[in-house]
Amino acid sequence: MKKIEDLTYYELLEVAPNATAQEIHRAYERVRRIYEPNSIALYSLFTPEETAAIHQRIEDAYRTLVYEDNRKKYDAKLRGAVELPEPAAPSHQRYYEPPSPSPQRPMPRSLPEPAAPHPADVPQPEPQPPVRHEEVTPVAPFIGEYTGPAIRALRELRGLSLSTVANQTKVSSRYLESIEEETFQKLPARTYTRGFLMLYAKALGCDPERFASDYLRRFDAATKPLKAK
Amino acid sequence: MIELQDALRKKEIWAIGGGKGGIGKSLITGNIGISLARLKKKVLLVDADLGGANLHTTLGIGVPEMTLSDFLNRRVETIQDVIIKTSIPNLSLISGAQDFLDAANPNFAQKTRLLRHLETLEADYILLDLGAGTSFNILDFFLFSDHGILVVLPEPTAIENAYRFIKSAFYRRFKKVVANQNIKDVIDAAMDQKNTMGIRTPYDLIERVKTMEKEVGEILELEVNKFRPKLVVNQVRTKNDIQIGFSMRSACQKYFGINLEYLGYVEYDDCVWQSIRSKRPLSVEYPYSRPARCIERIVHNLLRKEQLTLSVLY
Repeated sequence: MKKIEDLTYYELLEVAPNATAQEIHRAYERVRRIYEPNSIALYSLFTPEETAAIHQRIEDAYRTLVYEDNRKKYDAKLRGAVELPEPAAPSHQRYYEPPSPSPQRPMPRSLPEPAAPHPADVPQPEPQPPVRHEEVTPVAPFIGEYTGPAIRALRELRGLSLSTVANQTKVSSRYLESIEEETFQKLPARTYTRGFLMLYAKALGCDPERFASDYLRRFDAATKPLKAK
Repeated sequence: MIELQDALRKKEIWAIGGGKGGIGKSLITGNIGISLARLKKKVLLVDADLGGANLHTTLGIGVPEMTLSDFLNRRVETIQDVIIKTSIPNLSLISGAQDFLDAANPNFAQKTRLLRHLETLEADYILLDLGAGTSFNILDFFLFSDHGILVVLPEPTAIENAYRFIKSAFYRRFKKVVANQNIKDVIDAAMDQKNTMGIRTPYDLIERVKTMEKEVGEILELEVNKFRPKLVVNQVRTKNDIQIGFSMRSACQKYFGINLEYLGYVEYDDCVWQSIRSKRPLSVEYPYSRPARCIERIVHNLLRKEQLTLSVLY
């Protein structure tokens, strides 16, 4: 029996430690709904503050477990049963500091900046490039509009390739690419596109409704004239 | 000789409670009984809701001659004297009292005598319809049973009462397994949410007890693991209502560390209140109705020791 704060992310999401990304995603959707602020099922058990804290922790759990790198690091930490990540891995320490002190500001307009400096300044302890995941967790709310280029930028910020996202969402990478390039004519009918957008949003950790509606506004604007009555 | 053998045959006792009144415990108890009886099991229903007895009404039986309070007050000597056979084969009933105020609160001796007599009865299943609230008698019957079933409605009031019930039940259990008076006092104090010891959750309590006596704390942890109440959500109208069972299961696990099993739900349907109004058993009047079939599924799950999985929602 544990305090709620001490539950591991796996226990919090009620998944097995070897759950697949898809299982984690589904578990997150389910558990997140349970611990929503006005959840009737929790009435009298948790105060609103406690529910909010659990909800936040569930978000953190998801962000950690759904991205491979974050998850690996988390698993290692669990195995080592070390308290917090910072002291444990000195090599990480360095790049918590140098990158923009508040990387979590809306980035879409001047995008190239965050991406460029990192691979250059920082020594790479691991072979794979997306070391910049470190700064990305927790993921900040995205305040701009979800345009194709913005979506691509978000994906790159997460260090995800098109094929990774395609694997995760089961949406073909060609469609994902078309979404990013806003080559609307290559996208399928609106209903399908909407579905793909929601999946893409979830894979990036964004609010699916907003993501889809922003994008569909542009989609509709571009495709309507073709359906002249 | 045959009677003795029958009495020794393993029987299960199921208790149905819920904290809140008017949520359908009697209805559900009665119809679970009918379901089991139709499966050729010998079933005894006991209306332990003294002072609020409704079980006979949900079965379409008139106010009975002899009731549980006659037994408790020793107006009759053996429990057999208060058992009523219903018109449904294999199904018998001990009705709750139409009684005086004090009979609604049996004392310890009366309660023990009742439980002792129940054990001697020949039946495959004994179903106890507990009353509303969290009085000691209700909690004790619930803890004594093989399966304790909680009924909730998809409403905050019922849910609140259910959690209160769960908390009361296992704190009561804690006190029973603990001999040390100091620790008992701590448990009592912990029941008060505003206690000055900073004990908010059962986890806090157990940790506190561990500091007093580690082994006792560990025993309490074992008790938590052993406590497996079951949940039924009644008057379900939407998928969200069904989801409540799963949510409560999750919350119980995280907050209490208790395994609340989601046994099933009963859909809302007009035929339910119609059957009550006409004082006829639901499963007899409307056997193919959705609520009746929901109850059958609940019985099926209990017999198979299964519970609902999330696939019912997707």
